[in-house]
Amino acid sequence: MKLKAKLGRFAGVLLLALMTQSALAGSADPTQELAALDQQTQALKKSVLELNRDLFVLEEELLYPSNTQVAVFVSLDVGEYFALDSVELSVDGKNVSNYLYTERELEALHRGGVHQLFIGNLKVGEHELVAVFTGQGPHARDYRRGASLKIDKNIGSKYVELRISDSAQAMQPEFVVREWE
Amino acid sequence: MTRNAIQHCCSLVASLAILAVTIGPVRADGLDGFVVQDPHYGEVLFHFYQQDQFTALTHLVTARSQNRVQRHQDDAELLQGGLLLSWGQHDEAGKIFERLLDATDDTSVRNRTWFYLAKVRYQRGHLEAAERAFESITAPLPPELEAERYNLQARLYMDNGRYAEAVALLNNWHGDETWTAYANYNTGVALVRMGQLEMGATLLDRVGTMRASTEEMRSLRDQANVALGFSYLQAQLDGDARSVLLRVRLNGPFSNKALLGAGWADSAGKNYQAALGPWLELSDRDLLDSAVQESLLAVPYAFAQLGAEPQAAEHYTRALDIFGTELARLDNALADADTGRLLNSLLETEPGSMGGWYWQLDSLPDDERTRYLYFAIADHRFHEGLKSYRDLAALDTHLTQWRDKLGAYRDMLATRELAYAERLPVLQDKVAQFDLPAMLAQQELNTRRTEQARATRDIVALAPNVEQQQWRRLLAMENAPAWDTEAASGLQEKQRVLKGVLLWNMDREFRVRLWRQDKANEALAEDLKLAAEQFAAIELATDSLPGTVLSFETRIDALEAFIGELQARLGVSMEQYALFLNGIATDELVAQRERLLTYRAQARFALASVYDRMAAQNR
Repeated sequence: MKLKAKLGRFAGVLLLALMTQSALAGSADPTQELAALDQQTQALKKSVLELNRDLFVLEEELLYPSNTQVAVFVSLDVGEYFALDSVELSVDGKNVSNYLYTERELEALHRGGVHQLFIGNLKVGEHELVAVFTGQGPHARDYRRGASLKIDKNIGSKYVELRISDSAQAMQPEFVVREWE
Repeated sequence: MTRNAIQHCCSLVASLAILAVTIGPVRADGLDGFVVQDPHYGEVLFHFYQQDQFTALTHLVTARSQNRVQRHQDDAELLQGGLLLSWGQHDEAGKIFERLLDATDDTSVRNRTWFYLAKVRYQRGHLEAAERAFESITAPLPPELEAERYNLQARLYMDNGRYAEAVALLNNWHGDETWTAYANYNTGVALVRMGQLEMGATLLDRVGTMRASTEEMRSLRDQANVALGFSYLQAQLDGDARSVLLRVRLNGPFSNKALLGAGWADSAGKNYQAALGPWLELSDRDLLDSAVQESLLAVPYAFAQLGAEPQAAEHYTRALDIFGTELARLDNALADADTGRLLNSLLETEPGSMGGWYWQLDSLPDDERTRYLYFAIADHRFHEGLKSYRDLAALDTHLTQWRDKLGAYRDMLATRELAYAERLPVLQDKVAQFDLPAMLAQQELNTRRTEQARATRDIVALAPNVEQQQWRRLLAMENAPAWDTEAASGLQEKQRVLKGVLLWNMDREFRVRLWRQDKANEALAEDLKLAAEQFAAIELATDSLPGTVLSFETRIDALEAFIGELQARLGVSMEQYALFLNGIATDELVAQRERLLTYRAQARFALASVYDRMAAQNR
């Protein structure tokens, strides 16, 4: 066995292999076949996305027509004085949602995401929404607070925001229920 | 490449890909003071931040089609482009980015868009256009995007063979620890390729001796040491090679290559005894790795060089047995590949999951045949194909779920129709019994009377019935025939007093009664207005419901047909992918077989030589 020759060849091949891995994501080198399949896949995904959109629109129009639709969203602003665990929502005295948040969901809320807690139908007229927030307040104490809002449901969708924010002055969390303009 | 090595590379690519996209809507971070103005945009971000990319994308597309993210137009479009790009929709993503560049003056949006566009173009192999896009970025991007930008641009230079520019670019950039380590590694590799071993070695050595707190960084450190070690071997700097290769962890994904290299370094210095240490350790490892296969020949070679012919013969014989067994297994795997069975178990892993935006294959079914697919998975084309196949399978499952839902909605509409047919006659009866025009006329009359009483201060008109009756009786007394007689004089006095009391009471209560009457009139008017609206709504529903139901049914029919058509197309595409993947797997198996055949031939030849030498010594 010609050791040096073999060693040189092997080291070269191995080095090349290591370099082509080159730490950052494998470079795109698709074959013609993969490229053709990829084009086909892109067209299919585009069609599925459009179909999905139409299906969502149909579903919403069917289940929650805009005349009666009410959606309630939860948002967080900072949240230094309150660590949210769950939200309980009642409409006109009837419980419509109990939601327990996961760590992942809380992280998403902290980053600016908004959770759609409830979507349903309400008749035209006045309704009362009551939200009860459970979690840990200042000094890691168990905390439970409610907030309510009377809404006047007209023709057209109604969006309501349950907002948890910090009151720096009071060093306490604030819970606001408001109609989303 | 070992199982761990594959996992490492996969997780690395995945983490980078995720990093690349999470930065998209960085302004939508509460900590940055960004305020979500449209709840539906916030809802999209809620899914996006949880890495639920498909839901985020579908909700975003739907919300945009319903004009629900109007106050985040540019960000929403950029986010959609980024999501499409990550989902392999390069063409659509590219169109969005180009449109966005034409439409917006926001520098921040434009720079991020140029970055994404550069990425699309790079991934599509349009390197010149990608470079132009990179050069159009006029200000630093958010930190994580900036890191990816520099690394992508450096890769672009390296792909073009412009190593010096790649080195210059990366030398001028200082990112966080992780990105800097990758940058140093890439620059070091680029320098070695350019023949600048000394400069490259400095950078690779920096990575190879860094403190690493995560598995990803420890693996990168090993990778740098292996790259540097083999660069030294190639340059015949065997001593340096050995010391660098010995830094590599024994249980890491690069340990096999390091052990092989360390052995070669000793062997090159004719220290065969020392070479046997790493090679013997290596020869007992998983035979899937070509380094292990190579060690099966290297061990007896070292024994032979040490003059230990019996041990050399023993190890060559062992190698022949192992190669033979392995070849038989490969033949079985090839037979399975011919029938498509080899891929089936792989393609069925986690079927239907839509969360695999950055999906990587972490484990293979642990059986004798599919283990050979590790090599195929290391092939970029195979991995991309497998990912697309999974995407299509997940879309197929997703469409089946929609099809089931549509069936339920169809039932719901049928129930609505039935309820409509049952309730309509009852409702129509009730409506017929309710004489709304007469009630409206009565309400109008009441209002008129109240106004008249107000104008004339008619206190009797607003008095309760009892008082009105009493008033009328008292007045009627005055018309009685005996009223003016002497006998009635006492009665007259009483009547006068009672009239006075009644008048006093009615006058005193007049304002309150007038206020109450106004309120009652208003309430009645409101109730009658509501009733009129409800009647109109009933009339409208009576007329329009059959049409609405029909419209929904028509839409459901069309969507169901479209789902059927798409599922058929998905089926065809999935079959094509399966064929494509099977082809790559088969090619890889054949290559492995040929390599093993070569090793076996070398082992046979070497064994014969050893026997000859032993025979010559015995003569």
